[in-house]
Amino acid sequence: MERKGARRERILELLEEHGGLREGVAAAISAETGVPEADVYGVATFYTLVSRPGVGVRICQGLTCKLAGADARAAELQGHGVDHEWVSCLGRCDRAPVALDPELELIPWGARGAISPDDPELPMNLGGADDASYRALARARGIGAAQVIEQLRAAGLQGRGGAGFPAHIKWSAVRGEADPVRYVVVNADESEPGTFKDREILLRRPHLLIEGAAIAAWVVGASIVYVYIRGEFTDARRSLEAALEAAAPHLDGIEIRIVAGHGAYICGEETALLEAIEGRRGMPRLKPPYPTRSGLWGKPTLMNNVETLACVPSILLRGGDWFQSWGRDEPGSKLYCLSGHVARPGVYELPLGVTLDELVEAGGGYVGTPRAFSPGGAASGFLPISERSRPLDMGGLAAAGSMLGSAGVVVLNDTVDMAQAARWQAIFFQDESCGQCAPCRIGCSLQRRSLDRWIDDRDPATLQHVEEIHWEMEEGSICGLGMTASLPLVTAMRHFPEDFRSQR
Amino acid sequence: MSQSVRITVDGVEVQVEPGATVLTAATTAGIAVPTLCHEARVDPMGSCRMCLVEIEGQRRLQPSCAFPASDGMVVHTDSGRVRRHRRVLLSMYLADHELDEDGLPKERGTGNRLRQHVLEHGTGPTLPPIAADRSYREDDNPYVHFDPEACILCNLCVRYCDEVEAVSAITLANRGSHTTIATADQRSLLDTSCELCGGCIAVCPTGAMTERPALGLDWRREEKIRTTCNFCGVGCQLDLHVADDRIVRITSPEPGRTVNDGNLCVKGRFAYEFVHHDDRLTTPLIRGGDGELRPASWPEALAAAAAGLLGVKERHGADALGFVSSSRCTGEENYLVQKLARAAFGTNNCHQCAAT
Ligand SMILES: Cc1cc2nc3c(=O)[nH]c(=O)nc-3n(C[C@H](O)[C@H](O)[C@H](O)COP(=O)(O)O)c2cc1C
Ligand code: SF4
Repeated sequence: MERKGARRERILELLEEHGGLREGVAAAISAETGVPEADVYGVATFYTLVSRPGVGVRICQGLTCKLAGADARAAELQGHGVDHEWVSCLGRCDRAPVALDPELELIPWGARGAISPDDPELPMNLGGADDASYRALARARGIGAAQVIEQLRAAGLQGRGGAGFPAHIKWSAVRGEADPVRYVVVNADESEPGTFKDREILLRRPHLLIEGAAIAAWVVGASIVYVYIRGEFTDARRSLEAALEAAAPHLDGIEIRIVAGHGAYICGEETALLEAIEGRRGMPRLKPPYPTRSGLWGKPTLMNNVETLACVPSILLRGGDWFQSWGRDEPGSKLYCLSGHVARPGVYELPLGVTLDELVEAGGGYVGTPRAFSPGGAASGFLPISERSRPLDMGGLAAAGSMLGSAGVVVLNDTVDMAQAARWQAIFFQDESCGQCAPCRIGCSLQRRSLDRWIDDRDPATLQHVEEIHWEMEEGSICGLGMTASLPLVTAMRHFPEDFRSQR
Repeated sequence: MSQSVRITVDGVEVQVEPGATVLTAATTAGIAVPTLCHEARVDPMGSCRMCLVEIEGQRRLQPSCAFPASDGMVVHTDSGRVRRHRRVLLSMYLADHELDEDGLPKERGTGNRLRQHVLEHGTGPTLPPIAADRSYREDDNPYVHFDPEACILCNLCVRYCDEVEAVSAITLANRGSHTTIATADQRSLLDTSCELCGGCIAVCPTGAMTERPALGLDWRREEKIRTTCNFCGVGCQLDLHVADDRIVRITSPEPGRTVNDGNLCVKGRFAYEFVHHDDRLTTPLIRGGDGELRPASWPEALAAAAAGLLGVKERHGADALGFVSSSRCTGEENYLVQKLARAAFGTNNCHQCAAT
């Protein structure tokens, strides 16, 4: 049990200062924070960036990087005697294959990804100059909190982090809570394979996010905003820090604090993220209660994705109806992350609900003969290319048994064995499951094993129970990771049965 | 107090206190819901997923151990969906557990609840073992044995150690399929804050944590005998497990029944070796004039002690005597010692080893 007044939230930054978990470090941090030593050790072993100090080069083993020849790069490094380790998707799929040096800086192997050309009509317009005037914040103060929420409602803005929950409902829920202490938390943990849009916002238009977050804080009555930013995003963090300095004069009492992640995809899940900020193992909480009622340190908490908040300034400046009319069947514009077998991978801001063909056209066309795509991150599974005219929005993709998720669209051409593609995703989920609940912890291992066996032995019996395990993972898991982790395998088998048929 | 909550579980309507969980409501209705990671003395974690039930109006199955009952709620603990969930979940647990010749979870120490659930609820598909890689360093402490292969990661041991004992010697470590129970830097329990109370063993549902001295024993052959611990004055109740006329293990009666509420300390749980030890004194001894100790009867021994003490009083006065009683004595016995000192011998020189 921790000492009264223990500084638990310092554990992870102290681990970083100590250079990671080595023998004796847990004891030292326990003395510094008042948290029991075993507890510190348990926290440290959860996060890959601190649990194994001394890692050399980190090479991304995400689907896109594997397609782009990560294995060859790894062999090259090996040939030069450079130590390397395979890690989960690094969120830079537009310049695959990707690796980080020991200081977590990008090794510049490929060119920077594309973005939509500068167009002032675009709500986020990543190609435009960042605007540090904070006019939208001033406008929010002018029209009042209720009217801001009304504009969000008119805009139809839905969460861009994956779940698509209407923003105005969360904002009014937190605003209506009785407890006077509330927090705003920005989810900048972006770790869903194939997704790299939040990173581009942070790099190119950080003031959009800061302004959106400040408006959120003002509306819900929070004085502190935490930005939880993925630990591997060192460049994006620097960009955000610089922008925060410039923003300071406008924020008027709203404090924005940056908390770095330490290597755990699951901390993108909202309640795991809260645990991480509090200095605990990033294991999702049971819901209810929801964070809007009991979030950070038990206080009402508004959590939004970077992109969700980055939409807010233009909604306030140009009106909710204007934003709403950007979309097709669903409201607004959307940042689509495009990677894989396409000519110009990158982040494209398009009306919500464009088709795959339209998106890929913006990205310079297909490379080779397209066969499959994953529309919204690993958790969305795979769809056959015959779905190329389906709207890439929540309703459209849900109807196809998939989801828009984080809009990380990966295109696969006919050179790809779908069992192999499913296997890379299965490895990701097995590595990133927090391990607290049995359906996910054991299920991820089982599905991964089935795929390994299939690829090695081509014995169809190994795939016999895939559906039943998937059913239980979906029904029994605590959080979205376990619920969706076998979708890549299940959908690959469903849509590409030829890749799972025995040749013998 | 606000009004009680009415809730229907499998068609049985019951009333529970506001704030009660669905599991409590089910228990009140006389309906058993299988659990693994639940223990009344610690906060619910809801992670074993064994107790998921269907609640009308909730899209997802919910953990009854943590879900608050509310007025008018309708719960199904035995629907087709719940039964299928239990069977496939149990199949998955089997893929991550050491099994015996019959393909059932291996029995260890004081039984295995996972095994009981498998026998009672059945399983779904037969799944291959996942052979999870859990780094674990052997520990040489004399009392607590941990077998990661039998661990289902319910985290009860960690929560008990932290929330009930406030000792916090162990933790969940690593993540995903590598998750295990560990001490800081994987040291021996002897080099941690552990007090070897063995509470981790008591709460473990599968026997992954067992008493090292009782490893390999068959708990079905053990007869339980209730007694009071005589190591201190608290009066903890003990169940001595006796096989072949020897104490082979000591446990506490279940929580909520006795003063110790399911808890024991290292002495109560593990310090029983002396009972059958060769060096144990079983009759009084009197030292003769030649310096040798000889067995004697209690009347002889008491007479000899009384004569010696009275002799001192006569020669040097009552205050030359001092009486020190033991913290192993009960309050009543301590009272009698001071009464002996004051009333029988006439001195106030009395003390007790626990008084400082
Ligand atoms: C396994 C998992 C990973 C997630 N990762 C992220 C993430 O990296 N970034 C993010 O914004 N949301 C992520 N989410 C969604 C969050 O839980 C949450 O819904 C979101 O941050 C809410 O913000 P929004 O309403 O603005 O989308 C993840 C969810 C799950 C289940
Ligand atoms: S579903 Fe997976 S990631 Fe989510 S809580 Fe369970 S074990 Fe952790």
